[in-house]
Amino acid sequence: MLKKLKTKLTGFFSLKNRINLCPKHKWVLVGLAVLLSIPTVSVIAAEKVEITWWHAMSGSRLKVVDAIVESFNATHPDIELKPLFTGTYAETLTKFIASYRTGTAPNLIQVYEVGTQTMIDSEAILPVYQIPGMLGEAWDWAQYVIPITNYYSVEGNLWSMPFNSSSAMLYYNKDIFRAAGLDPNKPPTTWKEMEEYGEQILASGVVDHVYSGGWPGWIWEQTLGYHNHLYADNDNGRAGLAKKVVFNDEFGHMVFETMVRLHDKGIYIYGGPEYAANSAFKAGRIAMLIQSTSSLTGILKASEFEVGTSFLPRFEGYPIGNSLVGGGSLWVTKGKSEEEVRAVWEFLKYLGQTEIAIQWHKGTGYFPVTNAALKALLDEGWFSNQTYLTAFLEILSGRRDTAAATGARLGPFVAMREHFRAALEKAIAGDLSPKEALDEAAQKMNQLLKDYAELYGG
Amino acid sequence: MGGKPEACPPHLGPCRPKGEAMQEERFPGYRWLPYLLVAPSIAVIVIFLVVPFVQSVRGSFFISTPFGTKTIYVGLRNYIRLFSSPDYQNSILTTLAFSSFVIIIGLSVSLGIAQLLNQKIRGLGFYQVALIWTYALSPAIAGVIWASMFAPATGLVPYIVSKLSGGYVLNWMTNGRIALLVVVAAATWKMLGYNIVFLLAGLQNVPKALMEAARVDGAGPWKAFWRITFPMLSPTTTFLLFVNMLYAFFQVFGLIDIMTRGGPGNATEILVYKLYRDGFIHLNTGSASAQSFVIFFVISIGAIIQLRVATRKAIYAR
Repeated sequence: MLKKLKTKLTGFFSLKNRINLCPKHKWVLVGLAVLLSIPTVSVIAAEKVEITWWHAMSGSRLKVVDAIVESFNATHPDIELKPLFTGTYAETLTKFIASYRTGTAPNLIQVYEVGTQTMIDSEAILPVYQIPGMLGEAWDWAQYVIPITNYYSVEGNLWSMPFNSSSAMLYYNKDIFRAAGLDPNKPPTTWKEMEEYGEQILASGVVDHVYSGGWPGWIWEQTLGYHNHLYADNDNGRAGLAKKVVFNDEFGHMVFETMVRLHDKGIYIYGGPEYAANSAFKAGRIAMLIQSTSSLTGILKASEFEVGTSFLPRFEGYPIGNSLVGGGSLWVTKGKSEEEVRAVWEFLKYLGQTEIAIQWHKGTGYFPVTNAALKALLDEGWFSNQTYLTAFLEILSGRRDTAAATGARLGPFVAMREHFRAALEKAIAGDLSPKEALDEAAQKMNQLLKDYAELYGG
Repeated sequence: MGGKPEACPPHLGPCRPKGEAMQEERFPGYRWLPYLLVAPSIAVIVIFLVVPFVQSVRGSFFISTPFGTKTIYVGLRNYIRLFSSPDYQNSILTTLAFSSFVIIIGLSVSLGIAQLLNQKIRGLGFYQVALIWTYALSPAIAGVIWASMFAPATGLVPYIVSKLSGGYVLNWMTNGRIALLVVVAAATWKMLGYNIVFLLAGLQNVPKALMEAARVDGAGPWKAFWRITFPMLSPTTTFLLFVNMLYAFFQVFGLIDIMTRGGPGNATEILVYKLYRDGFIHLNTGSASAQSFVIFFVISIGAIIQLRVATRKAIYAR
């Protein structure tokens, strides 16, 4: 049979036979072609429970992730956790959405903090607080650091597992402070001082600009939360879907105008949407940087001067809130087998183990998420290096009992941040006055909130 | 009949059979085989181009949640919102400005360089490679290079500008016009190599005899260029016009994503970048579908005009 087929096959390709092969035989060929094109399906007898995790950790963070996953797999012989770097946060979320809709979603996915409301509304998620009960376990949620869990909680229940949490702080270059005749151990604590120091540093001629920053939209949220000021109504979208933003009032305009004024004086230099400003700070071309605490390890490694860290500057005479938690958290996909959920839960518990949380913190600069890990680090003297302590104290130092100090949770948050960034860029370019720019952004954001409420029937 | 092609003028290539009868004879007994053989290509086109296209046209009449849990029919609202939005109008203008800059500057500079390269000088190979290699760079790398050259606080260009002008701060992150120009420069530079290769090949195909005849007749280099070289190049130029248009509309995405992300303000937010942001970052699929249809429409019109008008005018004399 095979030989016959072979002759036919070779015959087909020779010109003479091609003309003569009868119609019946061609179907044999068709069949063969179809057979060959079916990908070989191999069935693996799997004893291990295989779970997948999509994340957005690249560079040096990826190495730490891989090390933790490797040790997890080694200590859990019945589980095979497969991590996969799926691009930036935004790309990871987009891929997750596509995969969920086609039924090929991973078990676990890392989502940035602005995607929180999207995930809560997705109907694709198994909230982590439900998992222990489902598996017949009891779990003490109080072991996690409270400002972090607050951010990811709905009505006191934790929806996603805190993983890489960071906040914003002020970095400063002590050498430049000295050169400008300032006390290197007295960083500015208020925006008034920022301006005064700025003028003095500019006058000294050591640098052309004094400070810059990353993540404008996020820093804006930080500034509001830091002064216990709401971003949007309905308790920052935590009591129900937010209908409109509330930051464009007297306080908001004052903050925004300060940013633009400092820019016009040459003190502030706009540093782009993410981490672009870090290079200017590392190169010693600016004296201060307002940036995510997760940049600390990188900045310490790359800077050839003495780095100081401090809390974000305040506006005097306004209420005290807290600096907000940013970064990402881990979400568990709904609709997977109990076996897989159990394996995922094992991994989530593993991440909370003291030595793993410490490994994660030291390797990346993200906060240790459990109280036990925090205590161990304190005992070990890790925080005797003041630069590391600042970051952590900051989120613990303020009040935690208000929605304003917890941060906003909004559906179209990503797009809203973009509108803020555009407003800042327009205002410092002088295209619009600060007030016009902020009001325009608020108006656009309100439209987004309205659209979101329309979709989700809020 | 023997399947022998009819004799036909050689410049038209092999004659196509006319009518069903001829086809039967070319593949006797294999009536469906040709269809089977093209089926994979057709399947790829249908699955990856036609179906998504139809889906996105359909999607442009709906708004839906990112996870597709809820979909609401809104008629033409996505389109109405789009065209009444100042951001979108701004994006259209930006795209037009951006693509005309990239096409006009890119093609004229490349033509100039190709003309210079099309002569016998020492080290010609080196110059050719040095001018062409930029095309081999990925958009991401090119973006990083240009972004770091123009970085406001650390870049070389703002430093030089500040020294020369006595303190002028060149910050493309806050000045939309400068940002647009920097992105145009980067995009043009990136495409330069590609344009030069084609124009150089075109130039080398211009018969020397024509140029010599022109010289004998007393035409100067300028006149010879406009009267002989330029018309002879028109097939290449037509092709490059269309390729550069596609490039300016779509492929510069990577550069913009790396360099400006559409900012500052919305100064460099060209249509395809706005589509990406609305669809994939802001998860607003309805609006993004409407935008994709608009871009499709614009590009189709551009393609039709270019193929109709430009091809007719192009001189194919070889």
